[in-house]
Amino acid sequence: MPTPTPESFRPSADLSRPVINLSVALGDRPGRAFFGCSDFKVYEADLAAAKVEFTELHAAHGSYVTGVAFAAGSVVSGAYDGKLVWWDAAARRVVRTVDAHAKWVRKVIASPDGTLIASVADDMVCKLWNARTGAVVKELRGHAAQTPTHFPSMLYGVCFSPDGRKLATCDKVGKVVVWDTASGNQVGTVESPGMYTWDAVQRLHSIGGARSVAFSPDGRYLAVGGIGKIGNIDHLEGKARVEVFTVADGKSHWVWESDKYKGLMNRLAFAPDGSWLLAAGGAGEGHFEFLDVAAKRAKRQDKLTMHTHDFAHSADWSTVVYAGHNRVVVHKTA
Amino acid sequence: MLPKFFPGSAAHRVHRRGFLGAAAAAGVAADMTGLSVLGSPALAAELRRTQKRVILLFLAGGASQLETFDPKPGAPTGGPFRSIQTDVPGVRISELMPKLATRMKDVCLVRGLNTRIGDHGGGAKLMMRGRRDEANLRYPDLGAVVAREMGKPDSQVPDYVTFYTQTEGRGMTPGDSGFLGARYAPMELTTNNTPEFIRRLDSINDADHRERAELRDLLGRDFVQGRTSDTLGSHAEAYGRVRGIMGSERLFDVSQESQATRDKYGPTQFGQQALIARRLVEAGVPFVRVARAWWDSHGQNFETHQEMVPELDHVMSTLLDDLKDRGLRDDVMVVTLSEFGRTPNINASLGRDHFASAWSMSMTGAGAKGGAVWGRTDARGQTVTHEEVNAANLFATIYAALGISPHKNYYVGSRPIPLVDPGAEPIAALIK
Amino acid sequence: MPLRPAYALAALAALSASARADSLPVHAVIDQHVDAAITAAGVSPAPPADDATLVRRLTLDLVGRIPTPAEADAFVTSADPDKRAKLVDRLLASPGFVRHQAAQFEAMLAPEGGRRSGALGDYLRTALAAGKSWDRVYRDLLLPDDTDATMKGAADFLKARVVDADRLTNDVSVSFFGVNVSCAQCHDHPLVKDWTQDHFYGMKAFFARTYDAGGTVAERGFGQVKYKAHKGSEKVAGMMFLTGSKLSDATAREMTKDEQKAEKELIDRAKKEKKAPPRPAFSARAKLVEVSLADGNADFFARSIANRMWHRFFGSGLVNPLDQMHSENPPSHPELLAWLADDTAEHGYDLKRLVRGIVMSKTYGRGSRYPTEATPDRKLFAVAQLKPFTPLQLATSLKIAAADPAQFEGKKAADVEKQIEQLEAAGRGFAALIAQPTDNFQVGVGEALLFSNGDRVAKEFLTDGPGTVLAKAKALTDPKAAVALLVRTAYGRAPTAAESAALVAYVERRGTRPADAYRQVLWALVAGPEFRFVY
Repeated sequence: MPTPTPESFRPSADLSRPVINLSVALGDRPGRAFFGCSDFKVYEADLAAAKVEFTELHAAHGSYVTGVAFAAGSVVSGAYDGKLVWWDAAARRVVRTVDAHAKWVRKVIASPDGTLIASVADDMVCKLWNARTGAVVKELRGHAAQTPTHFPSMLYGVCFSPDGRKLATCDKVGKVVVWDTASGNQVGTVESPGMYTWDAVQRLHSIGGARSVAFSPDGRYLAVGGIGKIGNIDHLEGKARVEVFTVADGKSHWVWESDKYKGLMNRLAFAPDGSWLLAAGGAGEGHFEFLDVAAKRAKRQDKLTMHTHDFAHSADWSTVVYAGHNRVVVHKTA
Repeated sequence: MLPKFFPGSAAHRVHRRGFLGAAAAAGVAADMTGLSVLGSPALAAELRRTQKRVILLFLAGGASQLETFDPKPGAPTGGPFRSIQTDVPGVRISELMPKLATRMKDVCLVRGLNTRIGDHGGGAKLMMRGRRDEANLRYPDLGAVVAREMGKPDSQVPDYVTFYTQTEGRGMTPGDSGFLGARYAPMELTTNNTPEFIRRLDSINDADHRERAELRDLLGRDFVQGRTSDTLGSHAEAYGRVRGIMGSERLFDVSQESQATRDKYGPTQFGQQALIARRLVEAGVPFVRVARAWWDSHGQNFETHQEMVPELDHVMSTLLDDLKDRGLRDDVMVVTLSEFGRTPNINASLGRDHFASAWSMSMTGAGAKGGAVWGRTDARGQTVTHEEVNAANLFATIYAALGISPHKNYYVGSRPIPLVDPGAEPIAALIK
Repeated sequence: MPLRPAYALAALAALSASARADSLPVHAVIDQHVDAAITAAGVSPAPPADDATLVRRLTLDLVGRIPTPAEADAFVTSADPDKRAKLVDRLLASPGFVRHQAAQFEAMLAPEGGRRSGALGDYLRTALAAGKSWDRVYRDLLLPDDTDATMKGAADFLKARVVDADRLTNDVSVSFFGVNVSCAQCHDHPLVKDWTQDHFYGMKAFFARTYDAGGTVAERGFGQVKYKAHKGSEKVAGMMFLTGSKLSDATAREMTKDEQKAEKELIDRAKKEKKAPPRPAFSARAKLVEVSLADGNADFFARSIANRMWHRFFGSGLVNPLDQMHSENPPSHPELLAWLADDTAEHGYDLKRLVRGIVMSKTYGRGSRYPTEATPDRKLFAVAQLKPFTPLQLATSLKIAAADPAQFEGKKAADVEKQIEQLEAAGRGFAALIAQPTDNFQVGVGEALLFSNGDRVAKEFLTDGPGTVLAKAKALTDPKAAVALLVRTAYGRAPTAAESAALVAYVERRGTRPADAYRQVLWALVAGPEFRFVY
């Protein structure tokens, strides 16, 4: 299946929602999407339908549902209540609730083969779960609980390599740890401190952070999404920023800062052939970018109608679903 | 170190007015029904014993009441953080403040503030004074009033100290003694935690420093004979206080405290300045403001509060415990206050904006009634539904809880100026 | 609603009968009115200040510094019966007068606590040096013309306020008309009948069209001010001056799309050429200047400047506070204020004339010491008031007190003037550490600490290298002569016997360390009240 070009993605739907859509995963059928939202609920929608409706799947969480994944026939969600919830798609009910983390869960993803669930939370731990049984498989600890200036840190992002053999986790101060999935050992770290602004003089707190990570399909690159230096940390007024490292030596290959858009890059995904990296995010407004990592240039930068917290795509990239502030936006290449 | 003017001279009259702190500006006089410290040494000793002091933790920039004292978990405006039960039945606060949650029986909480002014400068001025300035009358702020009421005329320590180290918002909220004049102007600590020019230069020894000052006083005596001026008195008074203030240098030095104590307060600037504040009030400084800037989370409100509220929780808990352990609970009031709160509405950057219609403050110690909660907001935190409080009533309550009558008058010329806006009354339910 | 206060009407009526302009010199009119009030009050005025006090006071008030010992001695020892007038005229003609006036006006006009770019000060110095009258300065500040070199920096007044029309409105009213209507923004002034919401918004209508065109100040040709009346509905405010004179004009409406387009083109072109856009055909600000200076309306303008200049030299105004000139706050001497205002207006707002009249009056020349405890009410001006130094006065005077008097002797007046100018410039850094005095000014303990323990005071003023008075004192073998020298440079007089004894004893107690001793003596002199005030 040929990889679609950046230009071929066209807006297909722009759906208004009364909530903040914080996380999205695509299901087993075309058009089937699951959303974790700010009303503590998980929703399902059939985006292929003529009239799209959002159906509540469950309200088992006690706070913002910041991560949602589909694996082993379940919708697995994580929230600020520290819990992971399994909702069985066949039985159409919650089958399991786990007190997964001591603090707020930031992201939940499924491994490419669907056997594992990975969750990261502000207890600075990444946990690997058996997607089917819900048993914890590994606990990965490699991020400092406090920032250099003695404030609590956050663990924002996690991704699997396309072959599932590696994981990467990224935190507030820009540290990225690469893990071997099977053993749970650290295999390397890279630092992207440009994502983190600590203001010692004007406002005495921080903002930003490395928010998203992605491995290139050929295993050569590790991309980190975040935001550039910010002068006034009351706002997300830094440039949208992606830093790409070469995995082999951990060196910085490319720092891209948008000349058009400001804000956080909340989610990254490479094309199957590695010819581009899709990034999405925002500040007061939203945007997405297709970046050519090898050639070190942006191929396309465009607006989204909302600050985008997450996106999910079909395997063939014919559909991309962006989830964000009061809106869900669908792009199609067909 | 005060110049000795003989009774009967015009200079004596000037000095005496200055001594009472009354002549600081345009003939300001205290309400003479109050106590005169000069009148009775026993009375003075009594006052010293019961002197109330204030530490104001000023959360500059506008801390969010929804992420601190008035959470609305589950409401569309509530954000992601949950609430936790405190040691006061029926009272829950943000999960970001677990330490204060076990100390709320000592804390007096006001949740129904509606103060209407939503810009930093105007809000800060209002919340530091309890009222708005008039075109040609500048009111003294809380620190100046407490310094005036609780300070000792021959004070060997500063009366009003404020820490504001960060640059953001600093120019909008300087301490201000208004018509009470420079006598009650604060000692502003910005770049350092130690006042500027408090240490004798190496180029002069202590005896010379002292005798040089006496020579200055002596040379001025003739000059003031037959001359009256409001400013003249303040000049003499300013020099009169120098040696005493120099002597208080060690109060600002945290290394005088054990490592264990310093570790308790923690390694952050806010913690260290709170410790200095404790040292200052312990030594009799009536009012210390520690400004913790900058809470103005228009973007990323939850990240910012997740970072900063635990620090507030820790520092305030440590401070409350420390004051209690040292027997200062009944004499020192710890106040948390901002210029306003934050909007229930969450914007696209996951931020909250300025909001003065329904927000919170707290006071602990002295006459503030621990465990009392006043004011309720609606389910989304958008309006005050019960027991609404404005700045004037808040200040009336604070003064009353310090043992100061809010209806007491200062005088500018012949115009009586009550401490709080006319009609404002203290909230009895919040006072012991 | 006409706004001319009742007292002013009465005073003007009285004036038309009495001798107006030119028949009596300004100083005589002042003394006439002040003496009459003193007599009526049944009090005695203070005796006149002695020569040493007078030369010190005049030099400080006119050129912003203490006199050099040579200047002081020359005045005190002169037997010329006209010496005071000659001193005054010399000082008024000197560049120091221009600089000091400019500094005073800069402090008056600069935004409170705002960062001053210095451009406004430059303009004021240029304008005053060129002899521009006060109405001319007013015009320049409100209608600056970037192409006119003599107006360089004048635009700063508007620039600093252009983002806030309410502030601009009130600052102009305060600075030029003695009227603070900011309370009347939200409701009719609670205490002052004269000032209603209509007045505030009527004045704002002159300024609401002014805006920031990307770094330069521009003005729309059209505009309308609406406001919500305190009780009731939205009203449209037409341009109205404080007297109540309304202006009807066809431009009081919103712009049409075509007009907006044309304006945008003008702005873009001006931006490209890096100039201010041209003034519109109808300029509301120009109209204000015209209306405020017109016969019948100019009372506000004239009375305000007369009152401010009185305040500057006497320490308090004929009306206090300076921005509360309204019928509920009448002047202490209504006829005098009216006369001074009229005289100033009739002589083209030449401030030098007014200043000369003030400082030549007997009233001004009174001493500041009163023999008994029962000091007369300040409003009678029967005793001279103490005025705290401005930061620049203090810094420059410290430099002079610290200098060897020989530095200023045996030189041409122009060279001494240049020297003084350099000392002023050198002292500016220190001046920035001192607070600008306001009414009811209080010296804070911070200043006392600065003097007592600040490195800067020691390094800038108390050194004993070549050219300093301390070097000279050190070199004298007789401590009595040495301390007399220091008292002379600091206070412009000889020490009293008691002072001399105390100072000599201080020095002798430090027998092996005369340098330290003299340094400390000089400190005690300049940190004392006699150095801190104009008396």
